[in-house]
Amino acid sequence: MTALLEIRDLRKSFAGVHAVDGVSFTVEQGSITGLIGPNGSGKSTTIDCIAGFQKADGGRVVLAGTDIAGRSAHQIARAGLMRTFQTVRVYENLPLRDNLAIAAQQFDDATWSDELFRTRRYRRAAAAAETRARELIELVGLARYYDADAGILSYGQKKLLALAAALMPRPRIVVLDEPVAGVNPTRIRDVEDVLRKLNAGGETFLIVEHNVEFITNLCHHVIVLDQGRKLAEGTAAAIHTDPRVLEAYLGMTPEMAEAEMRGAA
Amino acid sequence: MKAVAIVVAALAFGLLPYLTSSNYILGVAVSAAIYTVAAAALNLIYGYTGLLSFAQLGFWGIGGYATALTVVTFGGTFWLGLLWAGLLNAALALIVGYPTLRVGRHAFVIVTLTFALLVTLVARDWVDLTRGPLGIPGLPAPSLFGFEFKTTSHFYWIAWIYALLALGFLYALGTSRIGRTLVAIKQNEPLVRAQGIAPMPYKLAAFAISAAITGIAGGIFAFHLKVIDPLFLDFYYMQTFLIMVIIGGAGSFWGVVIAGIALSALPEVLRFSSDFRMIIYGVVLLVIMLVMPGGFAGWIRQRRLARMRAALR
Amino acid sequence: MAVDPVYLVQLTLNGITLGLLYALIAVGLALIFGVMQIINFAHGELLMVGAFAMSFALPAMGSLYWPAMAAAVVATMICGLVIYETLLVRLRPDEFERSILITLGLSIIVLHVVQYLFTANPRMVDTQYGFDGVLIGSIRITWTRIIGAVVAIGAFALLFVLLKHTQFGRAMRAIAQNREAALMVGIRPRVVARNAVVLATGLCGLAGAALAPIQLVTPGMGQFLIFKAFALVIIGGLGNIPGAIVSAIGLGLIESWIGGFFEIVWQEAAVFILMVVVMFLKPDGLFTRGGMRVG
Repeated sequence: MTALLEIRDLRKSFAGVHAVDGVSFTVEQGSITGLIGPNGSGKSTTIDCIAGFQKADGGRVVLAGTDIAGRSAHQIARAGLMRTFQTVRVYENLPLRDNLAIAAQQFDDATWSDELFRTRRYRRAAAAAETRARELIELVGLARYYDADAGILSYGQKKLLALAAALMPRPRIVVLDEPVAGVNPTRIRDVEDVLRKLNAGGETFLIVEHNVEFITNLCHHVIVLDQGRKLAEGTAAAIHTDPRVLEAYLGMTPEMAEAEMRGAA
Repeated sequence: MKAVAIVVAALAFGLLPYLTSSNYILGVAVSAAIYTVAAAALNLIYGYTGLLSFAQLGFWGIGGYATALTVVTFGGTFWLGLLWAGLLNAALALIVGYPTLRVGRHAFVIVTLTFALLVTLVARDWVDLTRGPLGIPGLPAPSLFGFEFKTTSHFYWIAWIYALLALGFLYALGTSRIGRTLVAIKQNEPLVRAQGIAPMPYKLAAFAISAAITGIAGGIFAFHLKVIDPLFLDFYYMQTFLIMVIIGGAGSFWGVVIAGIALSALPEVLRFSSDFRMIIYGVVLLVIMLVMPGGFAGWIRQRRLARMRAALR
Repeated sequence: MAVDPVYLVQLTLNGITLGLLYALIAVGLALIFGVMQIINFAHGELLMVGAFAMSFALPAMGSLYWPAMAAAVVATMICGLVIYETLLVRLRPDEFERSILITLGLSIIVLHVVQYLFTANPRMVDTQYGFDGVLIGSIRITWTRIIGAVVAIGAFALLFVLLKHTQFGRAMRAIAQNREAALMVGIRPRVVARNAVVLATGLCGLAGAALAPIQLVTPGMGQFLIFKAFALVIIGGLGNIPGAIVSAIGLGLIESWIGGFFEIVWQEAAVFILMVVVMFLKPDGLFTRGGMRVG
């Protein structure tokens, strides 16, 4: 496996508070990597900096060999890193069809004059996007809403739509910001299945999530942040028993955790 | 089928001078064509892109003055004047739009408002150029290849052809990916950026196109009135365009076109004193924004959505 | 070029008076924006209402300045309360464009109703001070101008104390700085917004009342002032109260100086040019340090 995304010594502070304080990690090509941590641990700031939504104070973000740190959000997206948002973002008043088409339009060769005069190149690009959109909407199970406005979807369905939109341009990596936060628990398994299927098809994911069970089920590799620093890193199983993680994340010692587990069993 | 109906309707408007010889009706028709174009241009920047621009009034006035001055002061033709009106406005839109849009959409509203006011002041106070409050009366009839557009019915052709061209262009733009992207920017700008699209060029383009189209409309309208003075920048025009967009439904091409045509005729039917007319405009604006912020098109859309929800649940 | 120093001082004093009156309007806008994130387009018409109220109250009260001014301020504050309870209360903080269009509609209605009822003819307003003034050296300033400036300064002092040291002022600042946090500690946004609107319209009525004896009262008098106040709100930083005050006085001075030496078109254009320059150099306004600040 090779490193697709490499974060080196990322730093960001607000008014003297170090929200991200020298974080480094890598995401392997074809992996599902999880980024977890308690509230205020700097997860969201980290991915905002990676995706160009906030400007990092320092550090390197290398995507497939190119340093993208300091570029603006749209340039980073064009470089092949697509993200979703914690509070789900879709175009509420546009049909799913358009929601998906817009996500891909920056990545084909049709220029503005092609668009205005509906040239062959424009129609070819639009047809390719349509095929891809149908395929993805089928995969996330929203095919029956294809022509309906995104505004009528439930919160969980919108998260799936946002996932499909992020996949539209066949990015190198998709960064998911809390993909199951606020999603009906019975639906979480569906999201897991979709992500696993996509990963089997070769997609790489970096997932920020609160839901530890979700991360444990899905991720090959997990990074734990606490107070802007990397606390631990390893396989999901290793993280689960790391005493530092338990204390920071759950506020308990290994003994307490063990006691709790026994209690639950 | 729908397309055929639209083309037939558009061409039918061209037959108007054969149906009536009343200069009064043709005059109203010229206003309807020009106002509708200006409202559709405002719809591009406000309805589609979500940026409320009061600069339209300034562009309208600059268009009128640029065309009039090209003809009267600089000895050019009417058509050259219209070209200047379009180019000058597009350039101004870029100059004003770039720093303003960097700040945000709140600043955009306020700056465009101040811009409109500034144009009014320049028209009134820069006497050497604009001849001040007296304005420029007696604008000559335009001519093309020796044909003079002297009568109102001749002038109607100019307004009608311009309306067809401008509305056709705006329709094509609005239904293209560019139009769809403008709507996307209005709805969720961070998502647009996350999808690799830089919003600024789209916003600037929408603003500049809207400015150019409004400016040319102003140029034609000034020659229809045959006079230009600072009253050409009366806030009344801005309110008229705004009300057309808001009643028709911001973001709906056909809603605004239909409202534009209907509302141009309406004040002529209801002949009130100007104060009373403005009070009615104010009440309409206020009530529509309170109870039906999406206009008629928005209301129809809400009903369709409600049906869709009911069908899916 | 030799400049007569007396003339310059005269221009400067006029500029400060003008700037203080601009500031009264701009502060109201900044206050409302800070708390509700909306712009009140009808602010200029409220100023006009204040001036008209002054012009009606004066004859009724035997030309006495202070009672008439108090009546005018109360009248505009009542208007502000009514506007808030009937219109602005329906707006959510993200409905900026809608707020502008609703208050624009209101502004059109008020302007033309007043014009319809009282005609567009300018009115002279006479007070107990008449057109008397003081003579400092060879500079003459009318009492009404001096009182106008003092009233404005007094109002700012009062506003400062109110925002800094009262429960109600603290709640307003809290909402302007961090809406979510303010809601969590139990501040009721509706009450705070209503207070802010009433306070802002009171300042606006004060400006109108102070202006009435200085210049002619017309239904359109608010319109030109409001455009400048909008620009000032941008120059000072949206929602920034001290920023608005400083920019307003600065603008009054600049306009007065330019008006003394150049063509009038430059005087009128100054505010716009200033605004565009500020936006190029400091996109968030000259004085922004985030949120609504006091002092």
